[in-house]
Amino acid sequence: MSRLRWMSAFLILAGALLIGVQGAQANASAQGVSNDTCLACHGRPGINLTLDNGDIVPLLVDASMFASSVHGQQGFDCVQCHTTLGNYPHPTFHAADRRDFNTQLYRACQSCHQNEYEKTLDSVHEHARAAGVPEAALCTDCHGAHDTRRLTDPQTHELRSDARTWIPRTCAKCHSAIYDKYLTSVHGAALVGEGNADVPTCVDCHGVHDIGDPTTATFRLKSPELCAGCHTDPQRMDKYGLSTQVLNTYVADFHGTTVTLFEKLTPDAVTNKPVCFDCHGVHDIRRVDDPQKGLAVRENLLARCQRCHPDATADFPDAWLSHYIPSPDRFPLVFSVDLFYKILIPGTLGGMALLVGLDVSWQVRSRLRRRKGAPPEAPAPLAGHPDLPAEESAGSANGPPEEPGVPGAPTDGSQEVDHD
Amino acid sequence: MTDPGPAPAPASPKAVADIVRFDVLQRVQHALMLISFTTLAFTGLVQKFATAAVSEAIVRLLGGIETTRIVHRSAAVVLSAVAIYHVVDAAYRVFVLRTPLTMLPLVEDFKHLYQDVMFYLGRRNRKASYGRYSYAEKVEYLAVVWGTLIMGLTGFMMWNPLASVRWFHGQAIPAAKAAHGGEAILAVLAILLWHFYHVHLRHFNKSIFTGRLTRQEMHEEHPAELERIERGAAAPRPPASVLRRRQQIFIPAAVVFVAAAGFGMFRFVTAETSAVAIAPPAETAPIFVPQTPTPTVPPPPSPTPAPVASSTWAGGLGDLLGQRCGACHGASALSGLSLSSYASALQGGTRGPAVVPGDADASVLVQIQSTGNHAGQLTNAELAVIIAWIQSGAPEQ
Repeated sequence: MSRLRWMSAFLILAGALLIGVQGAQANASAQGVSNDTCLACHGRPGINLTLDNGDIVPLLVDASMFASSVHGQQGFDCVQCHTTLGNYPHPTFHAADRRDFNTQLYRACQSCHQNEYEKTLDSVHEHARAAGVPEAALCTDCHGAHDTRRLTDPQTHELRSDARTWIPRTCAKCHSAIYDKYLTSVHGAALVGEGNADVPTCVDCHGVHDIGDPTTATFRLKSPELCAGCHTDPQRMDKYGLSTQVLNTYVADFHGTTVTLFEKLTPDAVTNKPVCFDCHGVHDIRRVDDPQKGLAVRENLLARCQRCHPDATADFPDAWLSHYIPSPDRFPLVFSVDLFYKILIPGTLGGMALLVGLDVSWQVRSRLRRRKGAPPEAPAPLAGHPDLPAEESAGSANGPPEEPGVPGAPTDGSQEVDHD
Repeated sequence: MTDPGPAPAPASPKAVADIVRFDVLQRVQHALMLISFTTLAFTGLVQKFATAAVSEAIVRLLGGIETTRIVHRSAAVVLSAVAIYHVVDAAYRVFVLRTPLTMLPLVEDFKHLYQDVMFYLGRRNRKASYGRYSYAEKVEYLAVVWGTLIMGLTGFMMWNPLASVRWFHGQAIPAAKAAHGGEAILAVLAILLWHFYHVHLRHFNKSIFTGRLTRQEMHEEHPAELERIERGAAAPRPPASVLRRRQQIFIPAAVVFVAAAGFGMFRFVTAETSAVAIAPPAETAPIFVPQTPTPTVPPPPSPTPAPVASSTWAGGLGDLLGQRCGACHGASALSGLSLSSYASALQGGTRGPAVVPGDADASVLVQIQSTGNHAGQLTNAELAVIIAWIQSGAPEQ
């Protein structure tokens, strides 16, 4: 019954999908406009569009460029994107300026790439545009229009390693100052310089279509997990001899503890405690032994401390364990203190537990004996002021009246009397 | 430290007065310590084990880690104040009242421990006879003194790391943190195991709250002290004149000490603002710096219109239309219109004849160009020439 229902639901869904796909194709072919038709005009220079501001936009399409693009390779028709242009004369088109021209045309992307488009609605770019910054990136600013390249592997849907190296150049079209810094970083130099796919490209940290605002408190609090994604991965780190203890040691420290708790409890709150990039840099992260900025160089570390602790003195950087786990070689004082307590705590508590255990076992034994009616181990005296001679009690120089007592026995004095 | 209670003369075993063991201020000290220690333990251990789920829940309950730290430090101030008071109180007993230091460990305590162990092992038939404080209590007292000193010192170092590195090596700060955490665990576990066992489980000794123990309890737990009290051997209060003379020295000294300690505490709390309130921005580079100039393909130059020699198709109008419209309406004949020959221009495309000789309004070419929005828009001057040509009958030759 329910299986049948599932089956029919599946069939309906599959059928709907099939009709949808065929519909899309049928739509294009119904227009009966081949790319050759479009290129008959748009393949030659001469067709221009004059914008409202007087700018002239050539409406020329490089046929060979389109043919080598991901859409061209898959045989898409012009009119599948330019759905309103299947007939001639074309409907009237007005654009205030070039940006307006692009902003109107990029909407074509969403008819096929709906998921990606919806993600962009949450992005920092879309928010910027809503706030009146028309330059904020559109699909086509990053992907191109007629020269769109394949970025992911069709099988794995993973970013292709050559695509990883293109991405910084794409972002640089608008963020060139940050790109220049990135090139100086250990990551940027490896990616752009060596084509090393192990290092992060822009989108690994910033995301792809739903690129968030990286200046928010939320992004800052989440960022240690971002760095840790690679820096706690032994497979990646072992290749370069890097420690995977960087997150643990950070979280164990005052700064990291605070940031971790902030992230868990109040993820959008502002804290002045540093995250990875506050010390290591953001786009200009250097090797730790870099003479200019590397944090393994003491002067560089002090300079970093002083950004938040302006009064820090030369000795202050040692207050931070630099991601090391204390050992006899590194931070021996901290190691010794830890060791001292590793001995002191069990030593002290062990002694205490032994005495408590002895007392408990004696109490249990004497209680069992009493229940059996046997005479108590020690005579439980009446509470009074007898004048027995002192035996061994120290501080009883004058022969105090000392009673052999049952000091640890239940406090109810009358019981003791009964047993006497 | 010691408190010579009144020595009641017991009339009979059944009708005995309680023994006063702690005065009001001692009980207040304990109460304040109990509250501040417990607060410190909870708010401190959740920081030490910050990633544990239970810690997270407690920190959330307290309103976040910053509030937790404020609570922790407030409790530390209370405990420090109790410690300062305790020093004054103990000094008064020692220097003014001249009572013996009953809390100090003596050889006797090791003897008592040995006797108790022998007793537990069945080698002795009774436990040791404790004085005012048993070794169990002295161990606790020493642990409190040691613990408070360590926690105060290491706490100060973590609270004021910049000032501390002026006196200690930088590494002392994480070492202080390690000691603070280790000592905390030791203190809390010792309280749970040793203190709770002796005064809660074994026998709920309420004397630190009521100030009193019954004679029976005293007999069981502090027989030697009971005997000393009942013997009248408790240290007598010094005569009033002696007391006054000693107080005249003690009180100014105590005032100086408290003022110094209080000032120290104040500095402790307020001296150092070690860090800026808001972390400086991590990325200082400007965000939007487009690569200049934004590369755009310059529009290719429009073909220069051929000079129109005469108002005929062959005299130049045919060439004009061929150059300006031929991209679409040449060989490809978009919409069926080809302007490559006079005949095809008259024939027109799907929307009708492009050129109707003598009637510009009926010519589709003029109709479309007049909207001013054609992809291959002619200039006004060009259009005027064409209209004039059509009106004059659109001659071919």
